[in-house]
Amino acid sequence: MNSMNKIIEDIKSKYNVLNIEQPTKQQVSFDFESRDIHAILAYLKSIGWNQLTFLTCVDFIDDKEFQLVFILMNWETGITIQVRTRLDREKPLFKTIVPIFPGAKFYERDVHEFFGVEFEGNEDSKKGLFLELWDDIPPMRKDFDPQKYSDKKYAKRDYNVDFKKEGEER
Amino acid sequence: MRELKLFLGPNHPGMHGNFSVHLYVDGDIVKRARPLPGMLHRGFEKLMERRLWTNNIALIPRICVVEPDINEMVYAMGAEALGNIEVPERAHWIRMIILELARIGIHMMAFGGIGGPTGLYTGPNWAITERDLILDIFEEITGARVYHMYIVVGGVRKDLPKGIEKKIENVLDKLEGRLSEYEDLILRNSTIINRTKDNIVLPEEVARELGVTGIGLRTSSGKAYDIRKVDPYARYDQVEFEVPVANYSDAYTRLETKYKEVKQSIRIIRQVLEKMPKDGPVRAKVSTGSALKWRIPKGQVFSHIESSRGEYGYYIVSDGSRQPYRIAVRGASYPQGLLGIEKYLPGTRLDDVAIWLDTMGVCAPEIDR
Amino acid sequence: MGNKKNFFAPIKAWKYLVKKPISIPMEDIFENPREAADRYRGFHANDWEKCIGCGTCSEICPTNAIVMQEREELPDEDGSKPEKPAIDYGRCTFCGLCVDICTTNSLTMTKEYVHISKDVDDFYFLPKENGIHDIKYENAYVRDEVSELLDLKRYDMVGLEADERKDSFIEIVKGFSKETAIAEASRCVECGICTKTCPATMNIPEYILSIWKDDLEEGVDWLYKTNPLPGVCGRICTHKCETACALGNRGEAVSIRWLKRYIVDNTPEEDYEKVVLANVSKGGEGKVAIVGAGPAGISAGYYLRTMGYEVDIFEAMPLAGGVMRYGIPQYRLPDYSLDKDISFIEKIGVKIHTNTQVGKDIQLEELHSKYDVVFLGTGFFGARGLNIPNSDHKDVHLAMDFLPQVRDFARGVIKDIDVHKSAVVIGGGNVAFDVARSLIRLQEIKYGKSDVKLIALENEEQLPADREEYEEGMEEGIKYQLGCGPQEVMLDDKGNIKGVKGFKCLSIFDGQHRFNPQFDTSDVKMVEGTQVYVSIGQSPDYSYLDKELEEKLGITRGKITKIGKNRQVEGVDWLFAGGDIVQGPDVIHGIADGHEAAKAIDEYLMNGKNKKK
Repeated sequence: MNSMNKIIEDIKSKYNVLNIEQPTKQQVSFDFESRDIHAILAYLKSIGWNQLTFLTCVDFIDDKEFQLVFILMNWETGITIQVRTRLDREKPLFKTIVPIFPGAKFYERDVHEFFGVEFEGNEDSKKGLFLELWDDIPPMRKDFDPQKYSDKKYAKRDYNVDFKKEGEER
Repeated sequence: MRELKLFLGPNHPGMHGNFSVHLYVDGDIVKRARPLPGMLHRGFEKLMERRLWTNNIALIPRICVVEPDINEMVYAMGAEALGNIEVPERAHWIRMIILELARIGIHMMAFGGIGGPTGLYTGPNWAITERDLILDIFEEITGARVYHMYIVVGGVRKDLPKGIEKKIENVLDKLEGRLSEYEDLILRNSTIINRTKDNIVLPEEVARELGVTGIGLRTSSGKAYDIRKVDPYARYDQVEFEVPVANYSDAYTRLETKYKEVKQSIRIIRQVLEKMPKDGPVRAKVSTGSALKWRIPKGQVFSHIESSRGEYGYYIVSDGSRQPYRIAVRGASYPQGLLGIEKYLPGTRLDDVAIWLDTMGVCAPEIDR
Repeated sequence: MGNKKNFFAPIKAWKYLVKKPISIPMEDIFENPREAADRYRGFHANDWEKCIGCGTCSEICPTNAIVMQEREELPDEDGSKPEKPAIDYGRCTFCGLCVDICTTNSLTMTKEYVHISKDVDDFYFLPKENGIHDIKYENAYVRDEVSELLDLKRYDMVGLEADERKDSFIEIVKGFSKETAIAEASRCVECGICTKTCPATMNIPEYILSIWKDDLEEGVDWLYKTNPLPGVCGRICTHKCETACALGNRGEAVSIRWLKRYIVDNTPEEDYEKVVLANVSKGGEGKVAIVGAGPAGISAGYYLRTMGYEVDIFEAMPLAGGVMRYGIPQYRLPDYSLDKDISFIEKIGVKIHTNTQVGKDIQLEELHSKYDVVFLGTGFFGARGLNIPNSDHKDVHLAMDFLPQVRDFARGVIKDIDVHKSAVVIGGGNVAFDVARSLIRLQEIKYGKSDVKLIALENEEQLPADREEYEEGMEEGIKYQLGCGPQEVMLDDKGNIKGVKGFKCLSIFDGQHRFNPQFDTSDVKMVEGTQVYVSIGQSPDYSYLDKELEEKLGITRGKITKIGKNRQVEGVDWLFAGGDIVQGPDVIHGIADGHEAAKAIDEYLMNGKNKKK
């Protein structure tokens, strides 16, 4: 708990934190301006949060923003940190973090494919990964409706068969 | 130099699930490798956003076939953290039984499964038998063999059936009795030793660079980096167990570690059976009303647990409605399964590729989601 | 772990060559399948006797595997739908959520798990009690209290305790707080069986959902679609919906009535007004006269006005509302609530002329000549007397004479009502309870104590009054003499009433379901009291009709019979009627009738030639 307070105070004193939440007793989340992220990640890496556990994205369509979430793990203290930032949904651009965490390479590619966020400096990130021959907007965006896509793309199977009546053979 | 392109998968005996790797080989040495996931992409994350909090329990176990319960657990833990739901004491212990049984199941399968990439099929066949005995237990506790849908938000879905403790102990005894035979069959087997000792070495820097967790990280760093120890969930802080570590991570060590972990899991379950409260509630209320209208308060949380392959987690976002706003799945083998293959598979001999994938713990379904 | 390479170690496995295999032989898989575990989630079985077709299983199904199928052979009754779930095993994940949420306990999963077919359509079944192959299998996965997915207990409504309430006419029920209302709303499974049962087919699941979403403006909109008196119905409706509610099968029905009241009482005035006023359109052209400002008349007036017609309502009494104003006591329906509902009716432009009795102050013929259509919404305001010895005594009172006085007393119009220290009420309906509970209050106010006894033919189970009336009455101190038929009002030597003599009632109806009570004359009960109040039914008053018209209406047992489904009188096409005089006394039926009549009148008037000018 003590080390938890320490890291919160430390980050607050060094960076411009927009918001702090503590969803569990071993986890804390910070919101930052997107331009601060790289410095923060590098700093956190240098003080023990040296594992990028996860990088993902949330589409806050009502706010017209994407949120990038970086999850860092410190195995010595067991404290997980969520580093979060918001991007303009119309022009989702972000500088790659591969130089800080090489493991981010495929996460960035993943986020690009499913949300359309572009990572400058990670040229591979624009290549398709999971979705072969995808022909619509990035599917994890909230305005993508999979039911509509499927109805448009595939013939509907008719389920209007009557069920088997008692003792009836088909 | 001549380069030849070979396709590994989508169906390969050494693979877990449908996954493909394009191998560019020169002679029998892999020069370049390109992972091709997507064969198993079922859009879980999108589906979860469009289902009720309750409904998702039917969906999420399908992300990992052999160890489905980890999905149920992280999902439940995340929702519980957001909703401030106090899980009843007994439920914590029941969850541990389920999780450790599942761990034994998948470890046995992976441990025996080394027979696949090495060409010795007695191992996998035996291991499947062992796993089946565990599935019998699952069937009695949860009502299903593979997809249990048992760990739910707030606790577990039903209390343990009467007399199951005895049956669990029987299975553990039987398994323990056979472990020495497995040792003879696999760990002392010259073929397996020749193929795995000093082969597919994972240096600590590589594990750190990629973000490999679990056995890979523990055997290379020599540290007990196990979520059950560093951020204990359920009641792992109240049972005694060791986390096997090593300072040299070759394929053999990782295999052997699985074997050691099975023994620890057996130890954990025995303690659980002894220490758990013998009765009491097993499920807490999620929210008021019928399950059709259950909601989880607004918030964002990353819940993680120690799966057989390392840190497994869900990033859960709730907007306070009856459906999750966003759930992102962090598959434990994502780092080694994609960047690992691309960067560190090259240099491996062609016939060792399957061993590489197997002992690194590459699991396609959790990468694809 | 010093595992040395050992060439012979693996060879030990050869010993299994001679051991009995533990795997199951192929032929046994089909012929003699292994028995599943006791909780196994196998194929479904559905007990059709229990299943009400609510479709909650289909709602919860994560894979849309369950489709409700309408079946012609099933009766279409209150409290159920003529549908049963059909399951597509091509989609089913065997999660068992349908079993956990089943509102009736009809759906279970069995130990049956083998089904093989080449035809995909063969995986689509309508399970019955014996599963899919019509073979009885043991039930395996069943719901228990841990896996329960419904919330079976009602959230408590705060109300006055018996000793706080019995000496005043203050409203008993306080209404839900926001938290409780949302919690109660979250219990609803949105099956819609309530809507089907409601005489006014109110959009119940929809407005409950609005409460759950905390969007009361939307809730008001849903209410006014079918009911212009939601404040009244939210308090005193007979709530058939709650009797039918699917949750009532295993637990307690959703408090639909109080939720409705919650919307009315808690929506901010401006939002309320915005929604109600927005409903008025300019479509209709024509004038409609309505006789009687009771539930039917007001409802008809409201909907006709929203369609654009000019509406005048004529009411004999000084205040609008009919039975809502002069029958039901204040502690159940306070004036301010009724005023609120009626004020919105007037705000949209319905004109209510009080103190104007048709037949006396204005003649029906005059209305006919001035208006395009006349709607009769007069009620059952006369009282039916009991014909037993001494029932003409001055201290024997009739319910429908007494209740208007009680209302007037409570609103301060009259200062005193002559109640004695003890009274006997005869009757078992809601009105009898209104009388008895009002008497308790009047006696408490006057004497500081009360002594009220209630005699009814029916026993506790058969009692036509709502259960809560019975229970609350008991709390307030009413003494019951149920299953007892009054035979004579007993007088003392001075000619004052001393009580009522009754016989034990053996049965009420005869073999042909006709009213024909049988008594055990040897079992005599004496119920003491110095006043008697008779509440055994109400009757209508048709004095405003002339002979010719009265005949055309075909009045039988007080009700108009020569009337179409659209509430138009047969052969008198300018005349419509509804409410008590067509359906018998009940507020929600009156409202529904008014709505039906309004639609029919609109149709009639849109047919241009029926208009006068």
